[in-house]
Amino acid sequence: MFDNREQLVGVSVQGNIVSPEYPPLPASPYVIGADGRPQLLPSQGGIVYNVRVGDSAFEWLADLVQPGVSIRAPTEPANQALNVLSCLGNEAIVLSGEATGSRGTVIGKSGRFAEHVIVDFAPETLERLAIEDKVLVRAFGRSLALTDYTDVQLKSISPQLLDVLDIEPAGPGALTVPVAAEVPAFLVGAGSGLMNESGCIQIQTDHRSALAEHGLEELRLGDVVAVRDYDSRWGNGYLKDAVCVGVVVHGDSPRAGYGPGLTVIMASTANRIRPVLRSERNIADLLGLRTSVAAPA
Amino acid sequence: MLKSNAESLVEVAVYGEVWPPAAARDPYKATSEGVAAVTLGMAGICFQNRVGDPAFGWEADHLEPGVSIRNRDDGAEHALHYLACMGNDAVVTSGACRGARGTVTGEHAHVLVDFPPESIELLAIGDRIQVKAYGTGLALLDHPDIQLHKCSPRLLDALRLESLPDGRLQVPVVAEIPSHLMGSGAELMADYVDQDFMTGDRAEMARLGLDRLRLGDIVLVRDQDHTWGRGYFEGAVTIGLIIHGDSAWAGHGPGVLDLMSARVPAIVAVPDADANIAWRLGLRDPADKAIRAPGAVSSYAGIETV
Repeated sequence: MFDNREQLVGVSVQGNIVSPEYPPLPASPYVIGADGRPQLLPSQGGIVYNVRVGDSAFEWLADLVQPGVSIRAPTEPANQALNVLSCLGNEAIVLSGEATGSRGTVIGKSGRFAEHVIVDFAPETLERLAIEDKVLVRAFGRSLALTDYTDVQLKSISPQLLDVLDIEPAGPGALTVPVAAEVPAFLVGAGSGLMNESGCIQIQTDHRSALAEHGLEELRLGDVVAVRDYDSRWGNGYLKDAVCVGVVVHGDSPRAGYGPGLTVIMASTANRIRPVLRSERNIADLLGLRTSVAAPA
Repeated sequence: MLKSNAESLVEVAVYGEVWPPAAARDPYKATSEGVAAVTLGMAGICFQNRVGDPAFGWEADHLEPGVSIRNRDDGAEHALHYLACMGNDAVVTSGACRGARGTVTGEHAHVLVDFPPESIELLAIGDRIQVKAYGTGLALLDHPDIQLHKCSPRLLDALRLESLPDGRLQVPVVAEIPSHLMGSGAELMADYVDQDFMTGDRAEMARLGLDRLRLGDIVLVRDQDHTWGRGYFEGAVTIGLIIHGDSAWAGHGPGVLDLMSARVPAIVAVPDADANIAWRLGLRDPADKAIRAPGAVSSYAGIETV
């Protein structure tokens, strides 16, 4: 399968490890669940020591937990560049502090919900990282396109990740993409209508039996997942027979309309992307970030 | 007559000023079909378009009918957003149109106020408009499962609601919107602005006839719980008000402002083509329906999905 990777430009973008943040007083620190119950939970940001890509997206007492390390650039235009240009699978390098020189991998982008880039590091590196340490991303992959599949858009995906997705031709202009799960359009909540080059769309989980019915309760952070009847080419919205493929980048939430977030990596209309269900479609495995990822208990 | 707690509510003044339209130096946005477009429609004084007009078919994006107001101060702006309720009285308090009286008909990027056109000929951007905010905390005493949002007692009385013998509330609506079409705004709490229904699938619009909706129409959204946030929940029902016009951006379309929501099937809809606040609140003459009427057939009939 041919693509245009030789024409792509690699460029540095950079952020600092961001502290968890809560709205200043007099705002309350609670997140309001779909049932109206206020809850106090860890949210996005910081260095998360015990949740890593490959782990369950559900079993944590947290709101939208981002595994590993979340980074953000100090100014808004630079942060937009960090968020738009970073691609899943890109290499990240620590540039300050005790862990200077340590390398990690971009595993997600949270978009409007936090505007963070999410980076995986080995557990021993996490121990040496500090909030505000500088992390540089070698952004590479923007404008990546498959030569013979012009109706399939690639976005936020590095050539390294593209190479391990195991996509295959499925007739003129169409591809099969192995995925861990398929999400029906009605379960996409927050993220519809928002810009998708820097962010994610959320699989809403308030109605648990709908979630179970579609086999989504076992989702793991890092899973490659398809959304049916959903158009993510120039935004995010419902369109029959359109399909997008995303990677689960953050955990569940008690809020209405929220749940595990998908950073979109492929988008098309008219059945150009044909998802096929396959087990073990997780970027922790595919990119070799973890040697063995235990299935959820 | 439905029993409510209207007599316990506090009526308080909030205000904004007529807010100018704004554009970026690079004004293009991508439509859902990947076409660069310059869009207008939000803010300012919309002299031609009022609540009651069609929600589709304008060369505008997120058309905000009537007068758009906003407050420069962040705290006062949020008070305007959270406290102004649909159907509240508004009055111009500065400039040549001082004393002109209007009605709140929407809350989006701005709070939207409808005035009789002849009363705002000389209204200027920057003129101050004050709203008698009245409705926050309103509840239906015999329907504890239903949460009201931004619904003034005046609007509640005008909706022609009925308590059914089985305990459910019957609401006349123009149309039903299925859950899978609910888009931008899912990220927000239900007390803040609206949620668009997604119109990028034009064949689906034609099939459901939703492109014949008008600004001001009352609609039902099925399987959406908007009591606190906004999300899918089987059996939940939400009643909304169409406050702004269609959009060409993916995930966007006319805005549905939450008026009431229940997590359980406590609301039943009854079809009523005239369930529109322009006529129900007496803002316009029902004879105006003939002006700019949406076509009998969907404007998207025959359009294939891309």
